[in-house]
Amino acid sequence: MWNLFQEIRKNRELIWALALKELRVRYKRSALGFIWALLNPLMMMVILTIVFSTITRIAVDYYPVFLISALLPWTFFSQTLSYSVESIVINAELLKKIRVAKSVFPLAALIANVINFMLSLVPLLLILAVLRFPFHWTWIYLPVPLLGLFLFTAGCAFFFAAANVFFRDVSHILQIILTAWFYLSPVLYSPDFLSPKYKLLFRFNPMMYILNGFRMAIYYGQLPTMQNIAASLLLGTVTFVAGYWVFRRLERSFVFYV
Amino acid sequence: MALRIHFENVVQRYRVIRERPDSLREAFTKIFRRNSNTHDFEALSGISFDVHDGEVLGLIGRNGSGKSTALKLIAGVFEPTSGKVEVSGKVAPMIELGAGFHIDLTGRENIVINGLMLGLSRKEIMAREQAIIDFAGLGEFIDSPVKQYSSGMFMRLAFSIATETDPDILLIDEILAVGDAEFQEKCDARIQDFRDREKTIVFVSHSPILVRRICDRVILLDHGKILADGGPEQVLEQYDSLVHQPA
Repeated sequence: MWNLFQEIRKNRELIWALALKELRVRYKRSALGFIWALLNPLMMMVILTIVFSTITRIAVDYYPVFLISALLPWTFFSQTLSYSVESIVINAELLKKIRVAKSVFPLAALIANVINFMLSLVPLLLILAVLRFPFHWTWIYLPVPLLGLFLFTAGCAFFFAAANVFFRDVSHILQIILTAWFYLSPVLYSPDFLSPKYKLLFRFNPMMYILNGFRMAIYYGQLPTMQNIAASLLLGTVTFVAGYWVFRRLERSFVFYV
Repeated sequence: MALRIHFENVVQRYRVIRERPDSLREAFTKIFRRNSNTHDFEALSGISFDVHDGEVLGLIGRNGSGKSTALKLIAGVFEPTSGKVEVSGKVAPMIELGAGFHIDLTGRENIVINGLMLGLSRKEIMAREQAIIDFAGLGEFIDSPVKQYSSGMFMRLAFSIATETDPDILLIDEILAVGDAEFQEKCDARIQDFRDREKTIVFVSHSPILVRRICDRVILLDHGKILADGGPEQVLEQYDSLVHQPA
């Protein structure tokens, strides 16, 4: 772990440059450029709101706010994974030519998506303003689920990036996992809607605690329980350490498999 | 003269796969069938040599003799299977064309990313940016995406970045063959300048003419072993007879 901090310190300028490169390439040649970072979650929210609150009539007040408070962190999570899973393989030519810390690639993907995520908070504020939704004081609690989210996402990113080097199937499987995971996480609905039979199952989903933290603070204006806070931070840290551990063990052989 | 590169009994083995390995299907078949579609290939089988400051070393040999593997070991791209590789000082590798350019980014953007990867800080790069652009002679192309470059332009930019970063060791793999006569002269002058400043250069090539012109010491590799190590004339002669002997 100490090793990682040193690598980040040494390569911070490189990681930052790669993250900006990632964003620049993503939005290059699109007429709206960075505005897509704002427009994308907005459009997703409009579509999902129409489908779930108008057509299927899920009875939740201020459904758009309810939805977007969990949708934004979820989108961050799934986009970061989709980008980082390919991050080592895509830079194969580079790894074969220059000695460079391998961790910079998934980290750059992570940072790029953190920036994207921060930008997507703008539409969130916009929606709150338009709907005249109260701005709760519990926002100050947001750094806690944010930390849990970043740690958990980084851990998964390290793991999938490393695994994909050895089995290219991983990037395909990941897309299926993410789709299933999305519906099995309380993004579109609240955990209260679940039949008690399945509630236990959901306890094993780290994203439930993290998303719940966001929704509590933004939508309900309540502080999550201590259990919830502890669970999201603990699961985030454990995943981060485990994911990086796998990455670190495998990184020496990357160059022979990419 | 300080020791720059130290190879001691270096062995490099690759697992060569006859089919593409990178799918789960293959992992499963591996479990059931004895893993018959890989074999180990020894690219270097126990070589030792030292390179000091101010030496311009040429590595020659037929295809698959281990030249590029040796270069990649010096670059630190991977670690040897066994033996010891010690390299001191800053290394600027130019292994194959355009070491790690991002084709969607402009030449200028690539200078920054490439420079950072070679271990420079952003400040140092900014201070050298103009010199890099001038030497590469890309004109207005410097602000165009690299994918629009010709292979000569690619090489010029790569060479310019690598040499402007002021490395202690410069690694060159075949690359010099691409430029036009004018750029060749600029390269020669720069290599001469490196030599004058007692820097180390390791140069991989198939071209006896280039090797004779640039190097003052040559190592001949064959099947991962050192066949000869000495002055260019003598070693090139041996290379010549190796190439022309019936296999």
